[in-house]
This record gives sequence, C-alpha cells and structure tokens, in this order.
Amino acid sequence: MSDETKLSRRGFVKGAGLAASAAMLIEGVAEGAAAAKDRKQGPGPVDVTLDVNGENRRVAVEPRATLVSVLRDQLGLTGTKVGCDRAACGACTVMLGDLPVPSCSTFVLDAVGQRITTIEGLAQGERLAPIQAAFVAHDALQCGFCTPGMVMSCHALLQKNAHPTEQEVRQAVSGNLCRCGTYPKVFEAALAAAGTGATPIAPAQGDLPPRDAGKSQEEAPAGGDRKLQVGVSGALSAKERKVPEGEPRPWDGSAQLRVVGQKVPRIEGPEKVTGRARYCFDVQLPRMLHAVLVRSPHAHARIKSVDVSAAEKMPGVMASYVLERILGPAELRLKPKSKEKYPRVRYEGQPVAAVAALTLAQAEDAARAVRVAYEVLPHAADIDEAQKEGAPLVFEGPTEQPSTAGGGGATKGLPQKGNVRGPNVTERGGDVEQALASSAVVHEAVYRTEVQTHSAIETHGVVADWRDDGVTLYESTQGIHSVQDEIATLFDLPKSKVHVVCEFTGGGFGAKFGAGNHGVVALHLSRKAKRPVRLFLDRRSEHVSVGNRPSSIQRLRLGASKDGELVAISLKALGSAGCAAGAGCAGPAKNLYPAKVLRTEESDVFLHAGPAAAFRAPGHPQGAFGLESAMDELAEKLGLDPLALRDKNDPHPARREERRIGAERIGWKDLRGREDKGSVKRGVGFAQGLWYNFDGAPSSAEVLVHDDGSVECRSGVADIGGGIRTACAQVVAEVLGIRPEEVRVRIGDTAFPQGPPSGGSMTTQMLTPAVRLAAERAKARLDGAQDVRAAAKKLGRTVRGYGERARDYGNWNDGDRFSATIGGAQFAEVEVDTETGIVRVLRVVAVHDCGRPVNRLALESQINGGVIQGISYALHERRILDLATGRMVNADLEHYRIAGSKDVPRIDPILIEHYLGRSNTDVSGIGEPATVPTCAAVANAVAHATGVRLRTLPMTPARVLAALKGARS
Amino acid sequence: MKAFAWVEPEDLRSAVAAGAQPGALYKAGGVDVQDRLKEHIDEPRQLVNLRRLKELDFLREEGGGLRIGPLVTLARLAEDPAVRKAAPALAQAAEAAATPQVRNLATLGGNLAQRPRCWYFRKEEFHCRRKGGEECFAIDGQNEMHAVFDNQTCAIVHPSATATALCAAGARLRLRGPKGERTVAIEDFFVRPEKDVTRENVLGPGELIVEVQVEPAPRSAYVKLMEKQSFDWPLAEAAVALTDRGARVWMGAAAPVPWRAAGAEKMLATQRLDPALAEAAGNAAVEGATPLGQNGYKVPLLAVAVRRAILAAGGLT
Repeated sequence: MSDETKLSRRGFVKGAGLAASAAMLIEGVAEGAAAAKDRKQGPGPVDVTLDVNGENRRVAVEPRATLVSVLRDQLGLTGTKVGCDRAACGACTVMLGDLPVPSCSTFVLDAVGQRITTIEGLAQGERLAPIQAAFVAHDALQCGFCTPGMVMSCHALLQKNAHPTEQEVRQAVSGNLCRCGTYPKVFEAALAAAGTGATPIAPAQGDLPPRDAGKSQEEAPAGGDRKLQVGVSGALSAKERKVPEGEPRPWDGSAQLRVVGQKVPRIEGPEKVTGRARYCFDVQLPRMLHAVLVRSPHAHARIKSVDVSAAEKMPGVMASYVLERILGPAELRLKPKSKEKYPRVRYEGQPVAAVAALTLAQAEDAARAVRVAYEVLPHAADIDEAQKEGAPLVFEGPTEQPSTAGGGGATKGLPQKGNVRGPNVTERGGDVEQALASSAVVHEAVYRTEVQTHSAIETHGVVADWRDDGVTLYESTQGIHSVQDEIATLFDLPKSKVHVVCEFTGGGFGAKFGAGNHGVVALHLSRKAKRPVRLFLDRRSEHVSVGNRPSSIQRLRLGASKDGELVAISLKALGSAGCAAGAGCAGPAKNLYPAKVLRTEESDVFLHAGPAAAFRAPGHPQGAFGLESAMDELAEKLGLDPLALRDKNDPHPARREERRIGAERIGWKDLRGREDKGSVKRGVGFAQGLWYNFDGAPSSAEVLVHDDGSVECRSGVADIGGGIRTACAQVVAEVLGIRPEEVRVRIGDTAFPQGPPSGGSMTTQMLTPAVRLAAERAKARLDGAQDVRAAAKKLGRTVRGYGERARDYGNWNDGDRFSATIGGAQFAEVEVDTETGIVRVLRVVAVHDCGRPVNRLALESQINGGVIQGISYALHERRILDLATGRMVNADLEHYRIAGSKDVPRIDPILIEHYLGRSNTDVSGIGEPATVPTCAAVANAVAHATGVRLRTLPMTPARVLAALKGARS
Repeated sequence: MKAFAWVEPEDLRSAVAAGAQPGALYKAGGVDVQDRLKEHIDEPRQLVNLRRLKELDFLREEGGGLRIGPLVTLARLAEDPAVRKAAPALAQAAEAAATPQVRNLATLGGNLAQRPRCWYFRKEEFHCRRKGGEECFAIDGQNEMHAVFDNQTCAIVHPSATATALCAAGARLRLRGPKGERTVAIEDFFVRPEKDVTRENVLGPGELIVEVQVEPAPRSAYVKLMEKQSFDWPLAEAAVALTDRGARVWMGAAAPVPWRAAGAEKMLATQRLDPALAEAAGNAAVEGATPLGQNGYKVPLLAVAVRRAILAAGGLT
C-alpha cells in the first residue's frame, strides 16, 4: 500500500478507537465469545485480522470490500484472480475453512475468524502441492489465468475425497470457467493427483529421451536450392526449395530431432499453478491509482456535455479524462464537415470519460458522479431492419476499417449504401449463374450465425506509467509491439520512449491487439496524475466494447455434377461487426474446395453495437458452418457419404489422411448406420476446415549462453496460452544439446528483439525459425562445441546469437492454393434429447496437421481448447441485444453461456505431420485450425441424429425444438 | 457498490430491530446481495449480517420431517442424509443450483428471498416495474428466459430452485419481524405481480425467515432442464411430491412465483401412476400457459420436466 493510500484511509476513519474495537468485536464473535451488543461498523475502514494461509494479517477494510479485493489490493496476494466479479466464473476461488468459495462475492468481513487459503498457500515453500504438480505434468493449464481457481477447486475436492471419479472432478470444477478449454487435462491432473504424496517442484521432464539420444544434425549453413523431404509423414517426397543464405540446414520431414516434437510440460507451469505468474492484471506499482471508465448507456447518442467537476472533488480522486477519439469502430473515409466536440456514441458501453483514484472503490464512486448529457438518437440494432431504407445510420458516409496487428480490418474502398458496406466480390473461373444452371445437382440454403464474444477470463486492461523520460505500459495483449506502435503514434512519442511489458496474457483469442481505448485513457490519466494508473475493464465492458466475432447470414449455392464433382460455389454473405467492418466469412468457400467456378460476395451491415475484433480464425468457423453444412446437404442430395463427397473434391493431402484416420477412430461407418428408437437420438457428423500460413510480420529472437554456462532466450512475444516459452526452450535445447528446462525463456517485453504477434496461428511457426537461427549462431560462436555451456565458461564471456525469421524461403507454396494451407478434420458424436431440444456432445475426434509438431502436449491442449470453444459456439454462445435500446442484456458469464466442465465431451486430439519446407523448423500453426470445423461437425451430427437440419447457430433448445416441430408438420 | 455500514447483531432480536431500520438490508450468504449492490439495484445504508447468528443455523429431523434454519447452506442441503431421505426434491434442487463455490456460501433463507435474475431487472439502466418504473421491458423485449404464466404485469421467473422443491414438499415458513412471529405456508410466502410488483415475497421491513418446516416427502423429486450442464439457470424446472394425501406438482422458471400445476395434481390424485399418466399430467400442467414472443419453447419443456419429475418421484425411471 502506498503512503498516500494509508493517509487517505486515515482520513476516512472517524476514530481509530472505534475501528479497533469493531475489529475486536468481529474476532470475538467468531470465537463465540461475544460480549458486546451488536455494533455498527463503517462505512469507513474497519481494522480486522484475517487468517490468510496460516498467517494473521491486520488490515483496514471497508465493509463493502470483497474478500478478493482485500487479498489482492491490500495484501498483495495476486494469485487469486477476478474474471466476472459475480461468482459465475470461479477465477477467484479460495478456501474458507475447508470449502471453496467465490472470493469476489464474499464480503471480507464474512471471512474474519475463518481460515482463508489462497493459491499462494498450497505449495510448501518450493514444493508444489500434489495437485499443482499434477497440473504442470498434465498440462492442465494454457493461458493460466483461471488456473489458480481451478487448482483451488480441485484441491478442495481432494481434501474431501481422496479418490474422486472423473464425474466428481467435473462436478467440483463446474463453477470454474476456462476460456482456453483446458478441462480434459484438468480432469486428468486431478485424477492423477488423487492420493499421491507431495511432489517437489521438479524441472519439466515430459517424455524426453536422454540427452545423448538421437543424432545431432549436421549444422553447416545451407543456401541455395536444396532437396527437402516434404509432404504428409509416411508419404514424404523430395522437393526443391530455395533456402536463403545463412540459414541452417532445414529440419525437413526426414529430420531426426531429440527434443522438438516431444511432450514437454510447460516450463512456466510452476509459476502458473502457484499464482506467482504475474499477469498485467496483477501488476501493482508504488503510488498506483485505479481508474474506472464512464460509459454511455445509449447505443447512439451525441454527447452534449461532460461534467467531471463533482467527480474530481470526490475522495481519493487524482485525475479525470474525457475521451477525444474512439478506437475500434470503422472510420469515415472523409472527415465530416461539422466536427462534433465529443466522439459520437455508436454503441452501448462506449467509453466517454474516466477517473483515477487511490482505490478502485473510490474510482467507482467518482465515475458515477461524472455528469454526461446525451442527445439520444435512434439506433439500429437488428441486422434485417438496419438494411432497410430510412434505418438510422451508423455512419453518415463511406468508411474504412483500419486493421490491427492481429488481423481484422476490411478491404479498402468498398461501396457503401446506408448501413451496408460492400459487397467485396471474389470471382474465379467464369459466370457462376451459368455454372449453377448447368449443374446436375444444386443445393441452396441460408445459414445464420450470431455474435460471439471473446470472453477471455482476464479482461482487457493496462497499468500505464507516464514518465517524462519514457512511458511504460503493462498491457494485457497478444502483441506488445502493436501496443507500442499505437501508443507511439497516438501520443507522438518515439518508439524508443514507449516500453510495453506483458509477461502473461490471460487469454486473448484475437481481441487483444493495440493499446485500446483503455490503454490510451490510462496513459492520459497517468500523465495528468503523474502516477501509474491501473485500468482493467469489468466483465460487462469486456462483452460490449472490446470485440466479438461478427454474425453472418450466408446464402450458399453449391452446384455439382451427378457424380459429385463440385462445379460451382456461390456465396452471398452479410454479417455485422457492429460499428466496425470486417464481417466477411468467405474464406472456406474460397479456399476449401476448388470448384471450377466461384463467386463470393461479402457485405457488412453496420449496427449500433460494439465493434468486432479478430476472433480465433476470423470468418472461418461461421464460414465452415455454412459451407460444411451445405456439403453434407449436397451429399445427401447426391446419395453420397459425406466423406466420399469430400474425398472427391478436396485435394489437400493432409486432410485426406485426417479424414481416414478420424473416420476409423470414431467408428464412422457403424455410427452412421445407427438408429435410435427412443426420444434421445445419437448422431455423428463430420466437418473440416482450413487456415493459412501467414508470412508477414517480423519475428526475431536472441539466445545468450552466459559466461557461467546458463542459457537464455529472449523475444518480445506474448504468451497467450499456446506455450510459446516451452516451444522456444525446446528449439534452443535441440540446437545446443541441453534440456528445455535448462533454458530460461524471457518474453513479453519490447526491450527484447521483436517477436511475432501472438495471433493468426503465427506464434510458433514464425518464432521458432528465428530462435533456431539465434541458437545456431550462438553455438557457432562457441565453435560448435558439444557442451556449449562448458565452452562459454571456458571462454569467460557471454556469447549471443541473434536470429530473424527468413521471409524468403523459396517456392514452398508450389502446390495449388488448396493444398499448401493448414487442414484439420473433426468428427463429433452428439446426443439430442428430442423432447427438450437439449444437445450434448459426447465425443469429438479432432485430427489436425500443423507442419512439424513442436510440443505435442501443448498441441493437444490447444486442440482440446479449439474444440471446446467450437462446441460452445455451436450450442450456446450469442450476444443478445435488447432491440429497443441496443443494450446487450447478457453481458455477463451467467446468461452469456460458455461451455463448462460438464459440457465437455471426450476429445481425441490426433496430430499428423505435414511438411511444406517453408522455414528452418517447418512449423505451422494450430490455434485457429483447431476451432474452425467444430461447430459444423456438431451441426452435421445433430442433423444426422434427428434427421432435421438446423441452419442457425447456436443450436439452442428453442431452435432444436422448433426445427423438430417444423419437420413434423 | 455504494458504501454502507455493517451491523453485526448480537442475537435474533437485535437483528430484527436493526433490520427494521430504514435503509437496512439483511444479508446471509451474501452472494445475491453482492450482485445487487454491485449493480446498484440496492443501495442500503446498513447491511445487517445474519450469517453469524448460530440460532439460525440448524438442521434437524422432527416427526419424519425437517426443521431447517435459514442459514443452512445449499451445499449442506444437497449432501445431508436427512434431507436426502425426507425431502429428496429439496436436496436435488439445492444440488442443481448455482456453482459448487456458491453453494458453499448461499443459504436456504437467502435462496428463498433472493431477487429475480431477469436481465432487465439486473441492469440499473432499465427502470422496470419491479423497481418502481412504468414498464416491463421483457414482455416485448428479450424474453426467452422469462415467464410463461402470470406474465402480463412483470415477466420475471422466480429464481429460487429450493422454492419450487419446498412448494412440492409442502413446507411452512416461520417468519419473525418487529411485530412478532407468524407461520405461513410456503405457497403463501410468494407474492404475485398483480398484488405487488415490487416484491417477490411477503417479508415486511425487518422480517426474516427463522425456520423452514418440511413435511416428510420421501417420494419427491426435482428436475431441472438446462441448456448447459455446468452452472446454468433452468429453462424449466419441476418438483413433485407423491404423498398419501395426493400429489403436489410445482413448476419453476415458469412464472413470477413458483407455479402450481393443479391440473396435473388432479390427474395424479385419481388415477394409477404410469408413464402415460405422467405424460398426460405433464401436458395438463402447462395448460393455460401464455408464452411471450420468444419463450414458447418453455411450454413443452415444462411439460417434460413435470412428467420426468413425476416418474422420478414415483420411482418409475
């Protein structure tokens, strides 16, 4: 706590004596020795003693304080997180006595006199509790933000029930949401930990072969054309690739590697399971203020005035700020003639102003005292209504959508009429109407999807620290360099004076790029107050203002020959990214099947709703839902098995293999033939997807072998849960002949060489080649010594290798455009209760390729997560807007439904290797591919189970029942 | 949340006195109170903490039935062997509510007295009828989670799962307030919107539940239908108790108060229980439903929930 905070608290307390006696009273009651009459405490701070992790901690608390706020902000125990602040997500789980409780919804005064155990209290010194060790060993964590709460729930279960069943584990964590979808490994970890003794914090061991196993590669630098082994593992062939000068010998399909490709528990696992991992959410700087945004309650309004004078006089308030511009929405192509004084409000929850105060509670009080006068304007909240003539306009003229480092953006220069921007037209091979007219079989249907919000458990936020000699932002982001770029531009600062740090990101899924309005606001407040300012969004703001997956309405027409050859694909897609552009979803239609003739038209419909942002494979889950549903419907018309139709039309070599493996694993033939007599119907479905090997962003790293023999790898990349630290450690270990846990990997700091953005499934594929090059160069500086650490010690100075990913690997993309992408094929088995419309997914077999697998353990986790997010999207997730006001009514984690532990099926993640020869590590991505086909596979399974096709996601009970009823009548 | 004073009453008597003060609000587990304070739905001047009153925390068998203190947590209700035996529907309702963490905090009294989860009611920006405003925003708005009975004034559904179960079990509530004690049948505890749209129950200022009396209902069952299987609010729920004196059939997530399925009860009273009768009773239960724009799907779900609860109570599943 800062001196100022202490002072201000004293100012609050009416008399120290009262506070002290109040505290004694509470303790007395807890001990059953109450003597005094009932006493009133507060509203100012009350001195109490809390028994936290076996220590008595004296602290002054306001009666309104929640337990978690005191643990974190006053006692510095930041291992306990806050995700929703409404007892719905479990991130704040601690134990009171023997019971796990949501500390966000526990008054701190209720915890007085009880044993409080937080995540920090589980490990004995450096020895992890068995459940923590099991979480690390089983990779029961991805971004790690929900992990402390998840560990606490499992720990509490094991204290009570030493040998739980999987069902009991699922039940125990049913109040803990993991947005990365780590549940299957949580179940494994809890079951493994049951009954085991204390395990020391051991370095990650995994399934690594011993140090001397496998043959070290010959490391002579290569250049020019080389024959590389490429293709799907088991069917490799030699292809010529132009390898840039100075690149090491490529790890192609024939490379025999020792560490890369194994199962390696994350090297940062112990930090994540103990609560020591410092997320930006946890950064607490001396003299730090807490800021709160004032948000518009109206979807469309002109701000007439903003009066912060009353707020500024509130206790503890140190600064206020009124926003001058809004980042995120589309921007008018031409500057409007009459400039409005304040930014136009185009969505409910748009930030208007902000205040910073000594405590969060003070800032919240003050934010409510800011007076904003709005001229409320008519709004457009419904995608059909918004297209009509005379609908309220979101923008008065044509717009452009700037992109972020994580993608997003929209095609430039498109026409715009009313609220409709587009179409963005792609044509291939001739006239699609003619091709359809001459097709033997045509399938036509409209598929719809709704808006999904990213809902990372760590909300967007920042701690901004303005100093005259340079600014520092601890921003929860997927791309520290994108934050640096944006801040440098907006504040007209040289990049050398913008320092961005993000050691751990509590989930992003595409929405966390750039500084965001909160970042800009916090920095302004910090400049004004001359203090660091912390500004994290609440859950409601997270839903409405920092991104979502746009909706879609896809009119698809597929034309095929009698024997099932695709002749024509026509897609007319509309979607809404709210007040942003970028709702296109034609990726699958354009790139999955090479029909002779193709025409796609993609348009955006603007609404007065929060702007979309890139979301895990932008456009693709919705596009795959449309296309892969339509393919199944076409197969039915043709009398073909759905897999046979794909085999006929899909040239992708990896996907062909994936379909074969997956069909065998799930028992496709048997399940397709199955009939259920009762009201509960089972079915199996298939769908596939694609994603791209992006090649754009810079990516670099450095490897240091210190003069004491220790090894360090550094890159300015963010860890959003994919496991990039461990991947880097594996590559360095491979090159240097050491173990991954012997490599200290430091990331998330713009002081390090620029890493790739952690999005677009680019992280591992773009960073590992740079890391390898850096490691090879460090090794070369030690004359290729077998034992580099001994060599560096002997040399007596630190050796550094720097590597940048080569962007000019030649002709790797020499297949056709349909076969050099990343594939992925999924099979889902579902159960539909036809009486209630409730759908449960029982099993998913997910077969994927990602070039060279680096860490098979983390890859399994990512596939599990992609599948679970896809199931959640297929069955539950949608933003519900009140049409009369444009407000999102389910902006919480209670009515915005995200699949939890009991909604997760058995998942079989299967990896095949597919080498393209496109970098020195030949790695592709997995994060996005893993979620693309799931919703379509589930929809196809529901259709198979019920005989009824649902063409709208999510498949809620209401929609399933309506479809069944429609089919009966 | 707005700052408030915290009152730690010494005993029940002083709790009632403190609770009767203007601007006072009771809290037990505090989960729902937290939500309301954070959303500024309530801004009490003082919060009267009941949680440390040992005299409200008891659970005992009496004459085959139960006497339950309002501070008994949902977790305990779900697990207690006496509850599972005497009133399985109540144990099942408690077990299905909220999350494991919440069930460790939330109390039976608080669960019965919690305020609705209607997404309009829960947002400060919507000054709805229940908050003294002019309009129910759900009736013509987003109402898929709303009432299909008694929904013309205010379309909330009563949020308490234990209320549905206790109605079926035939519970009585002992209340205590500044004017003394009274005992009400649980179905008389809840207030329909037509009577007073701003409250869900009869508790007056300073009045609180001091005991829940449950008649033995060993042949009872509770069914909750959820879209999601981990932590979700019900789309439909039903609780059924089969007793010597007849059947009690109640529905939840159906109306602003727990909703009696009198038609179903009548059928069960006169005929032999079998699957066909259960189905007919389920259908009878939803007769007269008046679904809104988006919640018609709840009608068949309620019928199914009732049928399944009847079968479960009768041991026919």
